[in-house]
Amino acid sequence: MDVMYGLVGEASWFCCGNAWGPCASTGTGACGTCHSGNFQHAWTNTSDACYAITRPDNCGVTGVSRRGCGFRHATTNLCNGSRVVTSIADCGPRTRSFCGERACCGGTCASNRVIDLTPAAFTRIASLNAGLIPAGIDVG
Amino acid sequence: MTSTMDRRALLTRAALGATGLVAASAMGSLAPEAAFATSAQAPDPGAPDPNFAEGLITGRNQDLLQVKGSDGRLHKIQLTGVTSIWKLRPTTIDQAMIGDGLYARGVKLPNGVLAAESVWLNIVNLDVMINSISRTGLNLDHFGQKIFGHVQEGVTAAAYNGTPAISDLSLLKVGRHVQVIGAWRPGTSEIDIATIYAAN
Amino acid sequence: MFAQQVAAAQPLLIGLLLLWTSYGKLANPEEAEKTALPKLVGEKRAKPAYRAIGIIEAALALALLSPPAWTAEVLAATALGLGFTGYLIYAKVVVPEASCGCAGKSAKPVGYRSIGRALLLTATAAVALTTTQGWWSAGPATFILIAEAAAFIALSPELDRYWLLPLRRLRVRLSHPLAGTASTTVPLAATERRVILSPAYRAVTGLLRSDVRDYWDEEDWRFVSYTARYDGRSATAVFAVPHSDSESVRVAVVDETSGQTLYRPALLSMAS
Repeated sequence: MDVMYGLVGEASWFCCGNAWGPCASTGTGACGTCHSGNFQHAWTNTSDACYAITRPDNCGVTGVSRRGCGFRHATTNLCNGSRVVTSIADCGPRTRSFCGERACCGGTCASNRVIDLTPAAFTRIASLNAGLIPAGIDVG
Repeated sequence: MTSTMDRRALLTRAALGATGLVAASAMGSLAPEAAFATSAQAPDPGAPDPNFAEGLITGRNQDLLQVKGSDGRLHKIQLTGVTSIWKLRPTTIDQAMIGDGLYARGVKLPNGVLAAESVWLNIVNLDVMINSISRTGLNLDHFGQKIFGHVQEGVTAAAYNGTPAISDLSLLKVGRHVQVIGAWRPGTSEIDIATIYAAN
Repeated sequence: MFAQQVAAAQPLLIGLLLLWTSYGKLANPEEAEKTALPKLVGEKRAKPAYRAIGIIEAALALALLSPPAWTAEVLAATALGLGFTGYLIYAKVVVPEASCGCAGKSAKPVGYRSIGRALLLTATAAVALTTTQGWWSAGPATFILIAEAAAFIALSPELDRYWLLPLRRLRVRLSHPLAGTASTTVPLAATERRVILSPAYRAVTGLLRSDVRDYWDEEDWRFVSYTARYDGRSATAVFAVPHSDSESVRVAVVDETSGQTLYRPALLSMAS
């Protein structure tokens, strides 16, 4: 794929809202709007407090823009080209806990966790049990 | 295709190239990117997707599931012979039980029923710390909540630092953050572990 | 006489403990949000209240540690201990997900250990009420405090990472409980990952309509099937994943009713 992305990294998923079972996020997330069935995502830099938890710069991922609740990003699964546009609803993922993980698809390699999608959004471009996919992120 | 064994035998031969093709020339126009480009995103970012359902199974009438969404919405989900079901591993549609948590993707029919293409039961994806390790599983700390992760022989696998998953769990360390894909045991704070992603 | 000295020594321990807990509250006042305080005194007042408790603790700690030894100080410590115990029981019952906020950063919900620690604090303060001597005159009885301090440490979830975690780590290093899990069978997760990253998957991904429906092993291959649609027909996409790395992943799309092979990207399967 000859597409250039603003950010290339790994995408995973998380559940939120008043959901069943243990959830990665308690309640409706940092923005108070998050639901597993909505097209939403968690972003590593929604505030200073958020960035202090995620710290992508600890893994060498610099220049992640500060974006507020509701801001739109497009996530493309590099393995199949499918794309989903979502809006920010929470803070995450905790990039610093998983430095160095790497996966390649179609000649593009992705390292480090950069985005978490809700199950509704993730299943649109990948399978939930895949857990982790190489992805390209753009402003949506 | 009759029995599972016959079906597998046929698919095995097809995948290995031991069967002839019937529509060899029809390909080319069906590049995957093109196929996706034609299906525009229906719901707006931030809004619910009508072709997706999430919630707890509250009723089952043959292959029609009643599901109560965590946002209060009620869903009717139709399972068919071609629906994929994940419950710790790919399994059969009879494994969808009342009380199970569910995520489903499919096609919303005009009568409001979601014809399910893929269903995931009790699946969780957790960022946890390993508190301690025992012979039967892992004691996990999930943002202060204690969760026990059962190790299931033949299923549980670990991917260390992005390398392919292996069944050897002896490289897991106490005190480390890991990501766990697993199947929740309904009504408990226990899960069965499918895959552990560990970065070292 | 010795009992008197033990009682006299207690304010030293209580003072040091309160210094530690007050530091946690004053250095990280934002921890108040995670406690039961917002529910008890309101969102706005939680942080000031949390800080105020920290200041009270610090002042009381300094009073206890420095001469003269007043009964009022110890009485205040007893009251504080009782207050903590009551507050923690309230938190556990009313806001079970709330953290203790007792000492330093911890997201853990209030547990029986935290309540036990508050009770122990109350008990030590009550013992200290039986004497008017200062801790500096306790003599050898001061050594009793080492055992008491150990009890406080054992009851402090905030300190687990300094002793409990290393202990568990050592145990796992000496003999890993899951050492016997290695086997030669390839986990399905590894197979799925190989499928997803393969050119074969990219060639048919637009046709797939489900997640993995079935999987099985045969000789040197593992097979994984998905529901698919091809040219308006109901079909199955079946991937063949070699156990060895020398071969690449192959795929075929098979008609659901006739069983005929509709599509097999032969060239792609050869490009590794």
